[in-house]
Amino acid sequence: MRGFSAFVRKEAVEIIRTWRIWVLPGMLLFFALTGPLMAKFTPQIVAAVGGDQLAGLMKALPTPTYLDAYGQWAKNLTQIALFAIIIIYGGLVSSERKSGTAILVLTKPVSRSAFVIAKAVVHSGFLALTVVVGTLLTWGVTAAVFGRAPGVALWSSALAWLALGVLFIGIMTLLSTLIGSQAGAAGIGLGVFTLMSLAGLWEPLAKYSPVALSGASMSLAAGKDAAILWPVVTALGLAVLLVGVAAMAFRTKEL
Amino acid sequence: MTSAIEARRLTKVYGEKRALDHVDLRVEEGSIFGFLGPNGAGKTTTLRILTGLAHPTKGTVHVLGHDVASAGNAMRAEIGFLPDVPGFYEWMTAEEFLRFAGGLFGIDRRLLDERVGVLLDLAGLTDVTTRIGGYSRGMKQRLGVAQALINAPRLLMLDEPTSALDPMGRKEVLDMLESLRGRTTVFFSTHILSDVERICDTVAILDQGRLVVQAPIDELKARYGAEKVVVEVEEGADELAAAIAAEPWATKVERGTNGTIQITVSDADAAKRAIPALIVERKLALSRMEAGEIGLEEVFVQLVGGGQS
Repeated sequence: MRGFSAFVRKEAVEIIRTWRIWVLPGMLLFFALTGPLMAKFTPQIVAAVGGDQLAGLMKALPTPTYLDAYGQWAKNLTQIALFAIIIIYGGLVSSERKSGTAILVLTKPVSRSAFVIAKAVVHSGFLALTVVVGTLLTWGVTAAVFGRAPGVALWSSALAWLALGVLFIGIMTLLSTLIGSQAGAAGIGLGVFTLMSLAGLWEPLAKYSPVALSGASMSLAAGKDAAILWPVVTALGLAVLLVGVAAMAFRTKEL
Repeated sequence: MTSAIEARRLTKVYGEKRALDHVDLRVEEGSIFGFLGPNGAGKTTTLRILTGLAHPTKGTVHVLGHDVASAGNAMRAEIGFLPDVPGFYEWMTAEEFLRFAGGLFGIDRRLLDERVGVLLDLAGLTDVTTRIGGYSRGMKQRLGVAQALINAPRLLMLDEPTSALDPMGRKEVLDMLESLRGRTTVFFSTHILSDVERICDTVAILDQGRLVVQAPIDELKARYGAEKVVVEVEEGADELAAAIAAEPWATKVERGTNGTIQITVSDADAAKRAIPALIVERKLALSRMEAGEIGLEEVFVQLVGGGQS
């Protein structure tokens, strides 16, 4: 894998110097900061602007707890953040083919596999770092707003989702290697997301595969138990496999 | 002399289109080689195959003795390549890009420091600290040549390095290439004849995927120039031109300025014997008579046809 470390450094610096540093972290940090506040104050806000009828309804609901803040974070991750990953990484490999940068670097004595794998590794690390920082922030703001914030439910939920996020980086690495258009790859990525959501309804499959992770992340955030060992293991294993297939496909591709 | 590039019966087919058709190409090491052809002739396809970016449908290619189909990094370590539209990481500076490119070759730090300094100077980018995204086309092209030289390649391949540049930009890039004469083999594609004429010693002309000719430029001009004769007389040029035009060996007669007549001939020997006799018969004063100079453009038009740019 000649050139791997040079590509890793380049990908990391590219994140810091381009729009990539703002989009995903900006979105997740915004959710982390506002989620607990929304969970705490939404009933009061709705009651204040909704009139007597809604105020009565809100009073009938249970008082929000730290679990509502965790639920907000898990919902934002499983829905909006996953969509963002699919769209952002639709051009992970193809954008370099389109811009001509791939031609310039891959006519040097480097491994094409290193070029692809470095992208998947660095962006998985970037996602993990962003999710950890976002979860820490959610944790802190929840503790400040609700007075208590036990860590297990929040962290187990976030880490279960992270395995799903890494799997989607693997899926998008493969799709952006095979498909030249960012929009096309993102479209298929969204299709995979929808299929996985539907497949999650079938219990035997959900028990051992990554399709359980979305629901499991929500359950864990709500303080319930969820068996995530197999889904996490299969998600990470599948991510490695997909990146491997992408690297092999890229080795023989004409540029 | 060994070959830097040797392609045999190189063929590339895209669907119905035959982009390259049995191309045989031989580039001697140490030459500055112009790969000439109109747009769409197959020049970029050839370069993509030579660099391993694309695979031939048929035929073999050896670059610096390596079989491109199987050589991989061993071959790439010895070449420098500039594509027609070089794509840079626009968030890098020129120095950062050269260091990144050097890192991909595994060049050690001290040598890389030295080369980066020399190449920034060669590209005229030493004091430019802005990111590549803000560069002009000419600056990017000069940086493109510089990055292709970071490994001190035995063979430098460039695809249309001057085609999108203004006259100053073209001159700068051509000067850079000319400065490499004797130090490395330069192989570049272009459709600009004057660029080839200015710096190349050997030329190949590609048209519609077929190699029309490959030869040293001087030989090529001599081969086609031998069919031209220029005569200049002090007076009576029109009368002489009419007499020459009536000869069976004169295929085309053109009147130049003053008393000059340019004659395209089918039999140079017959022409050289007959023309002085025609002048003596008319008692005209001969100023000069010589083999006509032919430009590469005329050779190109003759070989490829006048309908294409």
